[in-house]
Amino acid sequence: MAVLKKVIKLRTVVSSSAGLAMATSCYLAGLQVAIMTVGELAWISILVAGGLCLLSAMCFSELTSLFPTAAGIKLYIQHAFNEKTAIAISMFYVIGGATIVGAESYLLSSVLIESVGVILHPIADRFFWQVIFIVLVGYVNFKGVVITGRIQDFLTYSMLSFLICVGLYTFWISGVDISTAIESPRFTIENVFTATALGVFLFVGFEWVAPLAEETEDYKMVGKGMMLAIALLSITYSVFVVAMYSGLTEEQLHSGTTIPHIIFARNLFGPVGAAVFICMSILASFTSFNSGILNNSRFVYAMARANIIPRVFSKLHSENASPWVAIISLVGFAIVLSFLILITEQFLFIIVMAAALECFIYVVMALCVIRLRRILPDRERAFKVPFGSVIPVVTILVFAALMLGMFIDTTRDSLGNILFHNYWCAVAMLIFACLTSFYAFKIVPGLKQAAEARAKSRKRRRPPKVQN
Amino acid sequence: MARSEDIMEALKDYKIQCNNNKRLRRMQRDWTKLIHFLAEDTGDTFTMDVVKGEIITVQAGKEGTPDVFITANSEDMCDMFWGDLNPAQKYLDGEIRVKASQEDVQRIDAITMIIWPDT
Repeated sequence: MAVLKKVIKLRTVVSSSAGLAMATSCYLAGLQVAIMTVGELAWISILVAGGLCLLSAMCFSELTSLFPTAAGIKLYIQHAFNEKTAIAISMFYVIGGATIVGAESYLLSSVLIESVGVILHPIADRFFWQVIFIVLVGYVNFKGVVITGRIQDFLTYSMLSFLICVGLYTFWISGVDISTAIESPRFTIENVFTATALGVFLFVGFEWVAPLAEETEDYKMVGKGMMLAIALLSITYSVFVVAMYSGLTEEQLHSGTTIPHIIFARNLFGPVGAAVFICMSILASFTSFNSGILNNSRFVYAMARANIIPRVFSKLHSENASPWVAIISLVGFAIVLSFLILITEQFLFIIVMAAALECFIYVVMALCVIRLRRILPDRERAFKVPFGSVIPVVTILVFAALMLGMFIDTTRDSLGNILFHNYWCAVAMLIFACLTSFYAFKIVPGLKQAAEARAKSRKRRRPPKVQN
Repeated sequence: MARSEDIMEALKDYKIQCNNNKRLRRMQRDWTKLIHFLAEDTGDTFTMDVVKGEIITVQAGKEGTPDVFITANSEDMCDMFWGDLNPAQKYLDGEIRVKASQEDVQRIDAITMIIWPDT
């Protein structure tokens, strides 16, 4: 294997993977998990969700070691099935995943309104903050600024340590009554299962670290990093979510707040604590969203260069070499989504949909592991999931069950009122999947044919071979 | 299968095309990298030294520790340097493999796109 001047270390793979998953929406999703079961026992659902994500991380690790490239997901599916299916699913996954931005910017705007207060009007202010945040991240990407490994390490590890310390401090000063919680009528297998499904959302994005495989010394490192990141996140969320639940009053728990972590910090440490959590929220959203725009804009650029989407998306800026059309399109998409969330206030719809999308992609990845072992049995794998096909099969069954379980459930507010039936998430995802499939199977062949025709009409520059 | 001399000839033309392209030079002005290429079917290796967007040298063999390592078959490599092949397509299909940071991967493809926009 080639040795490069600069390589990424394991600690940076872990921090990048965990950092991608940690965002402002995780605090709210964590509280939802706690409310679904019994707050003091939310850690059970979080640990189970983390454990299940570990199974999926093992599948991702095998695939990454098989194809250590940024083109990852498309390539796995392409080799396991075919190119059109790969295009349809990877577009579905990437664009679907980008919808999280809508929920994230909505929640972050709540945090910012909390910190600076209402200036004009709650809705106008919220939209203002959403747009400012999205445009700022877009601008950073446009200028080609990249968060270095060391900064990512510092941000992620300080956030994880801080959350664990705050959680332990809360337990120390107020304690947690586990025995009463176990006797609660809400502590049922069904509730734990439903909360586990939503708990998967807490880990959304850990796999986006796969493109770093091209920057590591050992391909196994990415897989190891993903698993360590999940383990770290599981512990951190388990401690912090239970602490946050314990640190909120009954009234606050049922107020339907979008900023439980800020209220919790204020309860515990006063305005200074709230200010620290506001800063952390902004940083978490920024790093997570920045990586999202960075990865997605490169994906859009690569798709355009490969004639899968119109060529205009591959335009590069003359000064920064950044794919500016892709970045502006993603920023526009994020602003439209944020506006839709703003007027509908259905950010939980996006969170449920994102969790279901994640379950779906885990099922697909496990299927790819099984198929690729048959299609490419002799190809070198730096990591192979142990116990034959048992873990991939379990991954398929568990995540398919979690996804279906999520779809037949309903999402309620903190007072128990139904917000929406989750089957609407399935309907939205189905419509979107149909659109990406239509695009992959009907539009892409036309684009490819046009590109081939262009290539044929172009005079080859390479001199013809001289026959000996 | 392309011979080492064929690839070297392609590389020399590639160097001229890159260095004469003002837009590319401006875009890559802060890009200094040592790039190794491996033709996996023949085992031939090549080194390209890029300093502030200008290709200073191209030579057969491996020199120094690279920032970027590119593996492809010799025919694809030759076609790529002559501008007859879309490297992004081959990369997405897993036929060209790159070990580098994500930014460098995109910059390398950008070179081809700028000097031969119709590939």
